Formats: sequence, C-alpha cells, structure tokens
Amino acid sequence: MKLKRVWAQCVKELSQFRRDRLTVALAFLLPFATLLIFGFAIRLETKNIPLVIQDFDNSAFSRAYIERLYGTNQLDPVRWFRDKLAQDSINQGKASAAVIIPPDFSRRLKEGKTSTIQVLIDGSDVANARVIKNSIRATNTFFLKTEGLLPKQSLITSRTRVWFNPGRQESLYMVPGVLAINLVLYPSILAAIAMVRDKEEGTIVQVYASSTSATELLLGKGLAYLSIALSEAVFLMMAAALIFGTRLAGDPTPLLVGTPLFLATSVMIGLFVGARSNSQSAAIQVVGAANALTTMLLSGFIYPISNIPWPLSLLANLVPVRYYIELTRDSFVRGTGWPGIWFVFPALAALGLVLFWGAWQKLQRMQFSD
Amino acid sequence: MDIKFFEQLFESCFWALALKEVRQIFRNKQLLFLLTFPPTVQLCIFGFALSPDVRHLKLGIIDDSRTEISRELVAALTENQVFIAQTYPANPKALGEEVRRGKVDVGLIIPHDFQRTLKRGRPIEVQVLVDGVNAYTAGVASNYVNQIVNQYGYQLVARPQGANIVPQIVYLYNPGLISSWFFVPGVMGMLLTMVSVLASAVEVVKEKDAGTLEQLLMTPASVLEILLAKVAPLFFLLMGDVFLSLGVARFVFAMPFRGNLPLFLALSGLQIFIGISLGILLATVSRSKQQAILTSFFITLPMVILSGALAPIESMPPFFQTLSLFNPLRHYITIVRALMLKDVGVSVLWPQILALAIFAFVFMSFSSYRFRAQAQ
Repeated sequence: MKLKRVWAQCVKELSQFRRDRLTVALAFLLPFATLLIFGFAIRLETKNIPLVIQDFDNSAFSRAYIERLYGTNQLDPVRWFRDKLAQDSINQGKASAAVIIPPDFSRRLKEGKTSTIQVLIDGSDVANARVIKNSIRATNTFFLKTEGLLPKQSLITSRTRVWFNPGRQESLYMVPGVLAINLVLYPSILAAIAMVRDKEEGTIVQVYASSTSATELLLGKGLAYLSIALSEAVFLMMAAALIFGTRLAGDPTPLLVGTPLFLATSVMIGLFVGARSNSQSAAIQVVGAANALTTMLLSGFIYPISNIPWPLSLLANLVPVRYYIELTRDSFVRGTGWPGIWFVFPALAALGLVLFWGAWQKLQRMQFSD
Repeated sequence: MDIKFFEQLFESCFWALALKEVRQIFRNKQLLFLLTFPPTVQLCIFGFALSPDVRHLKLGIIDDSRTEISRELVAALTENQVFIAQTYPANPKALGEEVRRGKVDVGLIIPHDFQRTLKRGRPIEVQVLVDGVNAYTAGVASNYVNQIVNQYGYQLVARPQGANIVPQIVYLYNPGLISSWFFVPGVMGMLLTMVSVLASAVEVVKEKDAGTLEQLLMTPASVLEILLAKVAPLFFLLMGDVFLSLGVARFVFAMPFRGNLPLFLALSGLQIFIGISLGILLATVSRSKQQAILTSFFITLPMVILSGALAPIESMPPFFQTLSLFNPLRHYITIVRALMLKDVGVSVLWPQILALAIFAFVFMSFSSYRFRAQAQ
C-alpha cells in the first residue's frame, strides 16, 4: 500500500465532486433543511387532542368539571350535537375521544357516591389513547380535590427533580438525534453514488488496470468523502447551536474523537453498498430503503431502543448510528463523558472494519463480476 | 368491439413500449428483488419494533426505611410493568452516578423515618430523580410516579367509600391498544411512497443519462405514451407490494380489514401513481443522476416525518401541521388506517380522497409538461 496512491485517489475524487457545483450546494443545503424540518417538527408530547363532551347533567357542577378537563392544553374542545351518537364524532375523525357525563353526575357525587362517566377513545392512535386515559384520570382526582371531595393532600408526596434537562425541552432530545441521522444519511449516499458512478461509467476499469490496490482505492475514496462529511458535520453542529441553542455539556473530547470515527463508518456504509451493487438504481434502493429507514427507526432516534422486543433488539446493535446518537445525546445534554459512553468507540470501530472488509472482499479481485 | 379495442391496443406504440419496459425490468433481477423483498421484510421488522409505550423503565431504589410500608410503595410502583426495580444503590451519590451513566432512568429515595411518620398520620415526602435526556419519557415517568405515590398515600388514610368519578373507558377499533395496528398502516404508506418515488426517479434519469431517451423520442410514440409505458410496469410491481403488505398485515400482525377492499386498492393505486409522478418530476428537474438521487431522498424523508406515520401530527408546531396538509402521504395514511381499522367509506374519507386526486393530477401534468419541455 502506498500513501501516495491513496492521496492521489482522494484528490481526484474531491476535484470530481467539486466540479458539480449544484451537488456541492445540495450536499450542504439538504442536510441543513432536514435539520430544520426534523428538529422543529418531531415532538412526542401530545397537545390539543380533539375531545367531544356530551353533558347530560348540565349543572354548574358538571360544567366546572368540563372546564377542568379542557383546562390543560392536552385536550381541545370540539362541538358536537347532544342528540347524535358520540361515537359518530370519532368515526368521522372529528374527535379522538368522547366523554359522556350521566344525568345523575352531580347528585351522586354530592351524596358521596361513585359516579361513572363513559369515555370512548379512538384506539387506532395508540399513543394518544394512553395520553387521553391518563389525562382524564388525573383530571378526576384534581377535580375531586378542588371540590373538597377528597383530602387536599395525600399523605405521601413526591418531590421530583428532572436531571440534565430540567425544563423537559423536547428539542434537546431530538436535535442531537437529528444531527446523527443527517450525518449517516447524506455522507453514505454521496459515497455510494461515487462508488457506483465509477462502475457505471466504466472508469473503474482504468483503476483495475492500474497498479492501485483495492485497499488504496477504498481508502482514497473514503478519505475524500470523510473530509466532505467532516465539513458537513461542523456546519450542521454550528447551525444546531445557533438555531436550537444546543450547547456542549461537559467534556468535549468524546465528541471530537467519536465524530470522525462515526463519519468514517457512514462513508464505509456508502462504499460497501456501492461496491456490492451493480447499478445505480439498485444502489440507491439499498441505501435508501435499508439505510434511511433503519437508521431512523431502529436507532432510538424517536422511540427508545428499550421498546424493541428481544430478537429485534439485537438487530439494533448493528446500526452504527445507534451508538453515535448515544454519544451526541451525552455530549450535548447529559455530559457524563468517557465513563458513560466508552462502549461507543469499540462498537463503531468494529462495525466500520466489518464494512471495510465487506467492500474490500468485493473489490480485491479487481475485475468485473458480471 | 372489444376485439377491436384490443387489436388497437396491441398495435399501439404504448403496448410496444410497455413490453420493452417490462422486459427491461424483468431482466434486472436485482431491481425486481429490491422492489419487493426489502419492503416486505421492513414492514415486518418495523411493525414489531416500533412502540410508543413507556414501559420497563429502570428504577433505582434507595430504601432507608426498610419497612413493610416502604416495600409496599415499591411494589405499587413496579406492579404494572412501567417500572422495573433495577438496582439498590447504597447511597444517593451512587444513585446519581447510575443515572448519569444511563443505568437507571428513575431514582427513588425513601427516607428512614418513612413508616414512623406515616404511623403518626403526618405527611412525608419521597425524593424522585428523573433522567430528563428523553424529555417525553421523563414527562410520562414523573407523572406516573406522582400518580402512583399519591394514590398510595390516599389509600393509607383509610377513606370510607366516598365520592369518586370512575371513568369507564372503551377503546374503539383497537381495544387491546396493539402498537403494530397503529404503525403497520403508517409504515406501509411510507414504504410504498419511498420506493415509488426513488425507483421512478432513477428509471427516468437512467434513460436520460444513457441517451436512449432521444432514441425513444425519434419513434412515432408520443411523449405521454413513452411516459405511461415507462411507469406501467413499475406501477404493477408496486401494486404487488400492496398485496404483499396486506398479507403481512393480515397474517403476521393479525390485523383486521374492516373497510372496503376495492376502495383501498384503488386509492393505493392512486398513491403509487402520485409517487411515480413525483419521481419523474424530480428526475426531469435535476441535471444529473446524483442530484436526482439526493433530491428524491430529501423529498421523501420529510414526507415521512410530516405524515403522522411515526410521530403524531397534533403535537407539531402549527406551521408544520399546515405544511403536512400538502403531503399526499399524510392523507394516504389516514385513509389506510381508517379502512383497515374503522368501517368507514367515501362519505367520511372524501376530503382525503379529493386531496389525493388533486395531487395526482397536479404532479402528473407538471411532470409530463417538464418531460415534454426537455424532449424538445
């Protein structure tokens, strides 16, 4: 292996990339736009769930209860007719839930008896269904307390402290994840395109004919796209700091070491796919379907990995971005540093080497396979 | 008359071109495989893997009281699987360290005079420490802890059967609140759209790059015929994907199908058509293959995020909620969920159907306009 050849391959790749000005612009603009859209749009804490209430009691008491139900920003009032089935409002998609208050609601409560209210919830939206249930339960207790029907204070109270993110800002959780997702998607697509382009245009034959070895070819291309990915990373992290106010929490060295390592695996994903597939359409299909969705859905980006049931959770361990998300969340929010996330580094290095080996296997024979 | 129609069809340029496209696709075994196999496998994986539940949170407990009541409180917290007693650290410092390292999600500290104080009928506080990195889970977790602790405290007061409001909850359509019934329709729409946009963009751009487009334009076929022939085989392949997905939903996830099947198939066809038109549009506006690939990725991912397939639309900021109305995938997923789980029809779904029809018309006419403009 000669470093000179690696370097030459890298320089050639970069000048080829630079020539297509629009692609250069897209390589930065698209991740930036993705950062904005994902960073602002993905929120799990549900608000403004449309709720219909049919009040057959129609007393001051029941109206006070209704006011309590709508008092939080979780439930939003929807008008519905008293003479129509409440369920129809859910069937027609106008409301996600309906509460039916019986005529004897206030009488029974004032007599110190139990009153049962009917709650219909649209179960097709699983996450919201649970939120609605909990919200109504909590409102019931709160209402009984304020009306003096329950003792004001429970004997045991909990004093809760939320660490690392006391305001429970969801953007603090999402944005580090979006950074990681961006830094696997775009570098890997760019690298895959570069690899396949050589094959399709036939220029790879020239490489085969030259004295360049498979290792040198992969390292040269990898180095070129690693440098592009690094500039994307710096650019995106600065943008996130300016727009979302993400700040480094604690020791910055894990991030400084981990980012190049992770970007190297991202580029290797692209080169691996590029080396393994024969045409560009197939290549992007593989990168697209497998990479984009798997990274988004099996990495703990939106829903925690601990929610994935057992045999599939093993699969999640093979997704490099899963480790990098842990790293960015630690660096930007938790700030534990090395003792908390040391495992990220061997995992990323191992996955990167496996990908490199897979691409090298295919290329080392230096001849067309089909 | 029927025969005449078929004679005309078989002699038309469209038929010849469609045959060419079909042969081209079937020769490309890799593509054929990639268009059907990964989407089906992914539907299975994501259907099982995705779950919004907050469960199995790791609870670290410091019980300085070591009494019956304190153990009962811990049991109340862990009995419904939301929390799992993970560790019993020796002191608050060790507990803090475990939270920091992510070994524990929620920490609970019960003071040593817990039982004594309660026996005297005096109120007491327990300390709760929540890892706030995941803001959503942290919110749900702290609500759960508060609720359970409070509830337990009320029980101790030995209140006589007093006034109470009991909600009698009925979950419609999905009584067991099975996560996969929510995610499978979303993932299905997502995969269909991604595959149709990406595949059609690449197919058209490939022809453009290879220069064979000029050859096609020299033939007596009209631009529209070329375009339709180009998308026809892709369309049928993707319709095959729809059937595969339905099979997965039915036999892997035991999902019901309560709506109208022909309506579902027709609207799925419409959605595929939209995806393909969008792909062609992207291919015609980009100057190189790289750009086509980059932009089609860039378009499809936000479409997925803003569709309600993964995260609820209601919790997005108002601007993005409005933006999501211009996303065909959002309407399609609403339709799929409604048709699979609810027994509703056109009378309820007409706004979504109308939206899809408008998208199909706009995308197809714009992309064939662009195609024609480039041809000349």
